Amino acid sequence: MTFFQLIRKNLFRKKLRTILTTFAIFVAFAIFGILATFQNALNSGADTASADRLIVTNKINFTLPMPIAYASRVATVPGVKLVSHANWFGGYYQEPKNFLVALAIDPQSYLDLYPEYVLPPAQRAAFLGDRGSIIVGEGLAKQFNWKLGDRIPIKSNIFRKVDGSDTWDFTVAGIMTPGSTGVDVNFVAFHYEYFKQTRSFGGDTIGWLILRTESPKENERISRTIDAMFANSPFETETKTEQAFNKAFTEQLGDVGFIILLVVGAAFGTILLIVGNTMMLTVRERTNEIAVLKTIGFTADSIFRLVIGESLLLASIGGLLGLGAAYAASIGLAAVSGGRFGVMAFSPVTALIGVGIIVALGLLTGLLPALRAMNLNVVTALGRK
Amino acid sequence: MARTLAQINAVTSMNLRSIPSRLWTSISTVVAVGIATGVLLSFLAMSNGFRSTVKGTGSPDVAIFLRKGGGGELNSIITREQVQLIEEAKGIAKGPDGKALLSAEMYSVVDGIKKSSGTKANLPLRGVGPNAVNVRRGIKISAGRMFQSGTAELVVGRAVSKQFKGFELGRTIRLASQNWKVVGEFEAGGSVFESEIWSDIAMLQGLYRRGSSVQTVRARMEDPNRLKELLAFSDADPRLKLDVKAETEFYANQSRGISDLILYLGWPLAIAMSFGALAGALNTMYASVDARMREIATMRAIGFGGLPAFVGTMTESLLLSAIGGVVGTLFAYLLFDGISASTLGSNFTQVVFSFKFTPELVVQGVFLSLIIGFAGGVFPAWRAARVPLLAAFREQ
Repeated sequence: MTFFQLIRKNLFRKKLRTILTTFAIFVAFAIFGILATFQNALNSGADTASADRLIVTNKINFTLPMPIAYASRVATVPGVKLVSHANWFGGYYQEPKNFLVALAIDPQSYLDLYPEYVLPPAQRAAFLGDRGSIIVGEGLAKQFNWKLGDRIPIKSNIFRKVDGSDTWDFTVAGIMTPGSTGVDVNFVAFHYEYFKQTRSFGGDTIGWLILRTESPKENERISRTIDAMFANSPFETETKTEQAFNKAFTEQLGDVGFIILLVVGAAFGTILLIVGNTMMLTVRERTNEIAVLKTIGFTADSIFRLVIGESLLLASIGGLLGLGAAYAASIGLAAVSGGRFGVMAFSPVTALIGVGIIVALGLLTGLLPALRAMNLNVVTALGRK
Repeated sequence: MARTLAQINAVTSMNLRSIPSRLWTSISTVVAVGIATGVLLSFLAMSNGFRSTVKGTGSPDVAIFLRKGGGGELNSIITREQVQLIEEAKGIAKGPDGKALLSAEMYSVVDGIKKSSGTKANLPLRGVGPNAVNVRRGIKISAGRMFQSGTAELVVGRAVSKQFKGFELGRTIRLASQNWKVVGEFEAGGSVFESEIWSDIAMLQGLYRRGSSVQTVRARMEDPNRLKELLAFSDADPRLKLDVKAETEFYANQSRGISDLILYLGWPLAIAMSFGALAGALNTMYASVDARMREIATMRAIGFGGLPAFVGTMTESLLLSAIGGVVGTLFAYLLFDGISASTLGSNFTQVVFSFKFTPELVVQGVFLSLIIGFAGGVFPAWRAARVPLLAAFREQ
């Protein structure tokens, strides 16, 4: 019988107890994996942000507009390579509950600035060539069954057309796919020029500017230059890196991160107790047996490894199953949510942290019983009864 | 019958008195059940607090006029001419000056800095006239005074000054490219209005270059039933065609999204954690039965029935989880009751709310712990009831 077989036999001696304990561990790691997936989704904006992109918004609040003339003035700042702009549309499809992130953009520069929104060359050309067209994320296309060439009505809860209607009709010219994992393409975008000419108010204003700098090292200086340029004007600006902007946006949701930490911490505290307790029970029950093992020549060292090995195996089985279940759930959640909360993805980092915690859990819960088993005095143990 | 009862009594008391010999296992069950209960209760209290803040906002006899299809106050726009038309509507109560009691208001978003995290968050800056307080009920200046029209003065809701930096009385704060003096703090019965900053509407219209347009109009109705008349009035006039809602209904709709989210996250989590705690409870109870195999078998041999063994084990399990439930509830209550938090409400601005425990929540928590206790006790108890007599002689 190999050492590992001995550990395995020990672990499954009391099947019911082991199954129950494994289940408890499974639950904790499934909770951990799913909550981490939520957290990733909320942070996906900040994580995939490019270091050389800056966002310029109205200083009072990012929901307020600024003149479109700012785009050309910002372009003259040394170190700025490319400038584009976007405007929030407050869009929805058919009913208000089908909320859409819809943006009126300057098509050419916007797509150049965001190479991670991938469009086949033919679709890109079609979009750039037709003012009344729209590009949509692949998830949304699937959700609402939009095909290339479809005419789709997009409603706005902010803007009105000159004729008083709140519905703009667009031709689907392209379907965007994410260029790498974590990139969020769950939005639609159309030509700002067309939007400006058909809306009844708003004039020559835009929502925000996006620009690419020559190098992230220049970001500080460029931000300061831009904000100084518009200081004391009716539309003061605030320039931030894209990452800082996205992070500030999720922070508005409040103490989500703290709550997640709290729950995961509570779940693990419980599991630690249950598993630790089971291991203690197991070793106590086997006092005689361990004494016999020692008598027939097992060293204290190998006894220690025997017990630690058992707790590690226990933690691994439950933990890996739990992480696996969280992975499966994340795929399901991504499909169900349609990207409304960002990109639901079970990241390799989450998996790695999970495995780290599994090892820590196994070591921690096994340590005390293993020490006790190792230091067991054979004579007292066998004499005890 | 009487004998069975006496037996149950004896076995149960033996069970309970033997708990100290399984102290650590028993404590771990208590703690596991406690944590599961505590997590559930803190989520429920959060959801409950948010809902009661948002739902407690507004009165049924205040009608709110918004642009059609706009949804929130932020997206709405109403012209000066439309406000004048609304003044003519029947069913609106008259103020002391004999004019219709209505308040035309501007609603904009400014940045505040959260005290807890030091991060920026959207705060609503509402431009109001003198009638804002008359139309609403229960707005009370709790410190300082009301702002003076035509000056750069602000009053802030109690929740704002508690949660955000720089809103202390007498301080000057820069918002919307303008330095403002904080001259007062107001209470609004714990409603959403306490998360708002109020200033003079004319000042804001000037700052935002809005001319004479406003965003919403609130009107006090003679009684809540006049809403239909106002709606008909607005629909009949092509110059109006506005959405008209009772203020209570307006805020009730807004509360749904977020509190549902908290609720839908809280229950599944609590259920998952309960299963974890259940596994712990089962382990403990099986260990309890196993440790007393000989004892139980001996009792069976001298004439005790299976039922007392079952009840004894069951009682032990229920007692342990009930203690866990009570401890968890107490902890959650001490840690979280009354704690303030803020999150993004559906108007795209922060809503400050407090965690709120109610007796119903506590009942739900204890109920959950008893379910865990029952499920964790029933199988071990069944085993205890069917211990073979031979086990009495088995070497342990």
